Amino acid sequence: MQASRARLFKEYKEVQREKVADPDIQLVCDDSNIFKWTALIKGPSETPYEGGVFQLAFSVPEQYPLQPPQVRFLTKIFHPNVHFKTGEICLDILKNAWSPAWTLQSVCRAIIALMAHPEPDSPLNCDSGNLLRSGDVRGFQSMAKMYTRLAAMPKKG
Amino acid sequence: MDSEDDMHDANDVESVDDGFYSGETAMDSDDGDAADYDFIDNDSDDSDDPISHRSQQNYTILNEDDIHLRQEDNIKKISSILSISNNAAAILLRHYNWSVSKVNDEWFANEEKVRRIVGLLEEPRALPSGKELTCGICFDVYPCDSMSSAACGHPFCVTCWQGYISTAINDGPGCLMLRCPDPSCSAAIGQDMIIALASHDDREKYERYFLRSFVEDNRKTKWCPAPGCDYAVDFIVGGGTFDVNCRCSYSFCWNCTEEAHRPVDCDTVSKWIRKNSAESENMNWILANSKPCPKCKRPIEKNQGCMHITCTPPCKFEFCWLCLGAWSDHGERTGGFYACNRYDAAKKEGAYDDTEKRREMAKNSLERYTHFYERWATNQSSRQKALADLQQMQNIHLEKLSDKQCQPESQLKFITEAWLQIVECRRVLKWTYAYGYYLPAHEHAKRQLFEYLQGEAESGLERLHQCAEKELSGYLNIDGPSKDFNEFRMKLAGLTSVTRNYFENLVRALENGLSDVDAHGGTSRTGGSRGLGAGSSKSRGGSSSSRNKGTAPTARSRNIDDSGHWSCEYCTFANAKSATVCQMCQQLRS
Repeated sequence: MQASRARLFKEYKEVQREKVADPDIQLVCDDSNIFKWTALIKGPSETPYEGGVFQLAFSVPEQYPLQPPQVRFLTKIFHPNVHFKTGEICLDILKNAWSPAWTLQSVCRAIIALMAHPEPDSPLNCDSGNLLRSGDVRGFQSMAKMYTRLAAMPKKG
Repeated sequence: MDSEDDMHDANDVESVDDGFYSGETAMDSDDGDAADYDFIDNDSDDSDDPISHRSQQNYTILNEDDIHLRQEDNIKKISSILSISNNAAAILLRHYNWSVSKVNDEWFANEEKVRRIVGLLEEPRALPSGKELTCGICFDVYPCDSMSSAACGHPFCVTCWQGYISTAINDGPGCLMLRCPDPSCSAAIGQDMIIALASHDDREKYERYFLRSFVEDNRKTKWCPAPGCDYAVDFIVGGGTFDVNCRCSYSFCWNCTEEAHRPVDCDTVSKWIRKNSAESENMNWILANSKPCPKCKRPIEKNQGCMHITCTPPCKFEFCWLCLGAWSDHGERTGGFYACNRYDAAKKEGAYDDTEKRREMAKNSLERYTHFYERWATNQSSRQKALADLQQMQNIHLEKLSDKQCQPESQLKFITEAWLQIVECRRVLKWTYAYGYYLPAHEHAKRQLFEYLQGEAESGLERLHQCAEKELSGYLNIDGPSKDFNEFRMKLAGLTSVTRNYFENLVRALENGLSDVDAHGGTSRTGGSRGLGAGSSKSRGGSSSSRNKGTAPTARSRNIDDSGHWSCEYCTFANAKSATVCQMCQQLRS
C-alpha cells in the first residue's frame, strides 16, 4: 500500500513536469484518490482516430507496480481490441506481459500504439476484427472514423 | 480411497517379504518393488524365464530424491559440456524441456541465437557506475551497494526485487522463466538470485515448481497418476509394453495414463471409458423413464398426456402405455381410456413382473452394452476385493496359518502367489470385456475364438478364486494341522499355474488381434466352434454362476443380427435393417 502510494506520487510529480513533453497524453490524478486516474489521449495521426480525443479511466491496484493497473476507454471507440460496450482493452502488457518498470504514462503510450496498430487476431470487438481480417480496410476505417466523429470530437453547432 | 490404501499396504508388506526371500531368486534382491513386476510378467508374458523379463523393463520409478539427483546430474552435465554456470545450464535445460541432447544440438548449432532466445548474456554487465542509482520500479534513489541486477545490469532495489520475485512465484510456474523487469530487456534471472531473495515460503514453492518442471516438461517422465502417489516414472519408449507398475502398487499405461489395460489397446480403452461416463447416466435414465415401443422398440418417454400413445412416424403404432398392448383392443370394455383393466388384471397374475419387463427391453440394444459393462465393473470390484483379501492374508492370516498348520511361512508363499495371480487376472479379464464390446459382431470366427479363450480363462480364474477364498478358509478355522494340507497346496499351486496359462493364451491372442483365425482359415472356424462347445460344457460343470454369463453375449448379439437389426456404433441403438441413419442419434450407418 505504502509502496504503491509512494510510487504513484512519484509518477504524479513526473507527470506535472512532463506535461509539455508529450502533448498527446494528459494524465490527471483524481483529487481525492491517488489510485484513480484519468487520461486524455489524442488519436494518432493517419489513423481513423485522428482528431479525436479519447478518455481513459485507470484503476490502480494496491500491489501496483507489481500488478498492472486496470484501464478502460470511457470514450466509445470502434477498435478490434477494445470492447465496444465496456471499453475494456485487450493488451498484453496490461495482462501477463506487465512489467513493474512500466508507468501509467507508458501504458498510455502503449495504448496509442495499439490504436495505430490493431491486432485483429485477438479481438474483443469481433465485428471490427472481422472487417480487418476479411481485408475490408475501407469498411473498418469508415466505421472507426464515424465513431470517432460521433464520440471523440466536440459537437459542432 | 479405501482401495488405494489397501494397495499401498499390500505392497509394503510384500516388500518386506521380498527381503526375506531375497536368497531364493536373484531378481528379488535389488529393490522392494521387484515382486510387482514379476507377478505381472508371470501371467501376461509368453516366456517363462523371469530374468529375461527384468532386462526388458523399460522404465524406472523415481522418488523425490531420485528426481533431484537426476535434475542436478543433467544440470552439471550441461554446465561442464558448455562451460557455463549451473544457473545458466538450468535455464537452458528448462527452456528445452530438460532434454540434454536438444540443448547440446541447439547450442552448438547457433550459440548466439540460443543465448538471445533464452536470455543468457555472454558478458555480464555490472551496475551502472555512480554513487547513487534510481530503482527502475519504485523510482527511489539508493546508494549503489543496496541495488542489485541480473546479468544485464539494470538496477532495482532489494525491496522491489523481492516484490517482483514474490509476485512471479505466486503467479505460478511461469516464475521458472523470469526475466529482468526492464521491459526492453530479456535477460533471464538465475535460480541463485531467486533463492537468495525469496522468502522461505516462496522459496519452497519455487523449488517445488522447479522439481515439477523436471517431471512434467520432460517427455521421458510422468507422475504416477494414482491419487496421493508422489513417485515419478522415467520411461524409455520403444520395445516392450506401455505397462508401468509404480512402487505404490498402482499399475498404469504409460501411453494414455489410464489404468493398465494390456492386452487391450489405448484407443479401445479411451472409447470405452468415454462411453461409460456418457452412457451410465443416459442408460439409467432411459431404463427408469422410458418404455420401448412394442412394435419398433424405440425407447419412448411419456412426459405428459393420457395412456394412449402413438409412436412417431414411420412406426405410428398406437398402444396403451400401461399394458403395451395395441390401442385397438382398448375402449369402454377395458375400463375406459384412462385406466387399463388388462394391465391391472395381468399385474395381479404376475405377468408383468420385472423379468417380463426386462425381456421386453432385451431387444433394446442398450442391453448389449449393459451386458459388457456389468461384467467389466464386476471384475473391477472383484479385483479391489481380491487386493484387500491379499493384504488381509499377508497381514494376518499367513502367520496364523503358519502356526496352525505347523508350516514355516516361507512354505506358504504359494498362497500369496495365488492371490497376486487373481488380482492380475481380474484386471486382464475386466479389460477383455471392453475388447469384446468393440469386437465386430460380423467377425464370427474371431468372436468365437475370443469367447472361447475368455471363457476358458474366466472359468479357470473362478476355480482359482473359489479355492483361494473358500477352501483356504477351512484350514484357517480348524485347530490342529490338517493331513490334507499338502494336497491343498498342490491344488492351489496347480490352479494358479493353469490359470496363468489360460490368461497367457488370452493375452497373446488379443495382442495379435486374434489373427490365429485368419491364419488357419476355414478349418480353424470349425475347430474353434467345437472348442467352444467343449470348453463351455466342461466349465459349466465346474464353476460358479458367473461362468454362464460369459457365454451369453453370443446368443444375444446373434439375436440382434438374426432379427435383421443393425446396431448403431455410436449409441448402440438397434435399427431396422432398412434404415441408413440411426433413428436414435442420426449417425450414418457405418
